[in-house]
Amino acid sequence: MSQLNTWLNTSLVPRIIACLDVANGRVVKGTNYKQLLDMGEPIELALKYEQQGADEIVFLDIKASVDKQQSALEMVRKVAMNLSIPFTVGGGIKQLSDVDKFFNAGADKVTLNTAAVETPDLIDQIAKKYGSQSLIIAIDVNREKSGKLAIYTHGGSISVKKSYQQWLDEVVDRGAGEILMTAMHKDGTGTGFDLELLAQEDFSLPIIASGGANEPKDFLDAINAGADAVLAAGIFHRGEYSVTEIKQYLINNNIDMRMKK
Amino acid sequence: MRAGIINLNTGNLLSIVSAVKKAGFETVVIDKPQADFDVLLLPGQGRFGFVAAQLDKYNWREFILNWIAQDKRFIGICVGMQLMFESSVEDTDAKGLGVFSGQIQKLKHAKTPMVGWAKLNSENELFKDDYVYFVNSYAIASSKYCIASVNYAGDFCAAVQKGKLYGFQFHPEKSGLYGRELLKQCLN
Repeated sequence: MSQLNTWLNTSLVPRIIACLDVANGRVVKGTNYKQLLDMGEPIELALKYEQQGADEIVFLDIKASVDKQQSALEMVRKVAMNLSIPFTVGGGIKQLSDVDKFFNAGADKVTLNTAAVETPDLIDQIAKKYGSQSLIIAIDVNREKSGKLAIYTHGGSISVKKSYQQWLDEVVDRGAGEILMTAMHKDGTGTGFDLELLAQEDFSLPIIASGGANEPKDFLDAINAGADAVLAAGIFHRGEYSVTEIKQYLINNNIDMRMKK
Repeated sequence: MRAGIINLNTGNLLSIVSAVKKAGFETVVIDKPQADFDVLLLPGQGRFGFVAAQLDKYNWREFILNWIAQDKRFIGICVGMQLMFESSVEDTDAKGLGVFSGQIQKLKHAKTPMVGWAKLNSENELFKDDYVYFVNSYAIASSKYCIASVNYAGDFCAAVQKGKLYGFQFHPEKSGLYGRELLKQCLN
């Protein structure tokens, strides 16, 4: 069990990350990347989750385009001035100068998906300039009907030729700091995380499990399967559970969590 | 009360500036030595050698040493704390400020950098059992002035204090409401 290795000999605790999918300045949530529902104001929601005890916030501008970059940067700046926990931004990054803009606006980390697949050297460039700790590589993986794992880009719409294992090894090698692993076949379905995927190897860097959280037990299972952090969106936005409630459940199940003393 | 935040061009200062402002300080980012402050903060990101070179490039070294010798309040954060020691294995030729004795070591854990939240082990009420946010590959293993430690394949010193001199290996400005409160207490 990787859980044992992950939490041995460290004071670090598993993290609960609230993800805000942003489109046109609003937080949205979709099922299997389609059908977007309006969930509210990005900064307001981020501050609410911070209050509830979220350990990090991830902002993904899922409809990012060049003309909307200015408003995205404005949001990042406001978040940096108001949030007291680390936050990551992603969406619309194509080259190092896009990354420079996000870091200059105050982001702690950036996350890449499509751009990393299309320009893998960008991983090396970012790691070299800002350090691996500043870079999360998002991998959208789908279990195909054949049972094989396939990598997707462009918000889950385009299948990539590289195999899952090949891509995973490559991003680690190029200097990614963390992997945000989204099981597309689980995302928005509320059927739990893909535990098999999480447990299948001893990852050499932190793994953030994403896609499929429906109830507190899904978080527990993901952490027990080896996730260093669990990222969720809809379960929080819909108000089904607060971050506090998830953390309390995990503590009751013997998982150390950051809580107020 | 006025706080000066030393800008060595090693990273974004927006979060630390906002945190110090929220602690009730008039906050100024300073590019060169300037003394009209109640407290100076030295944040730092990146390689030890690079940040140390920036200290010299902008004539900060002697100024900071004088400031500390006059028993004025000073807070070093992350690499800013590491620079308060003599040297680092990261760049063995680079010289730290040497306010504290010791050499910064590489963390022994297989997964470095250490990224995330850890609970402080401390006998000091202000630090004891609270969680703070770390992002680092190097740290000082031990110090006579250590006031809080954490474990990452071996204990290291998360905070040092000597009078009005503080060093934090973690990021108080990213450590939630507790981090903000801690910063406020140490600024005053």
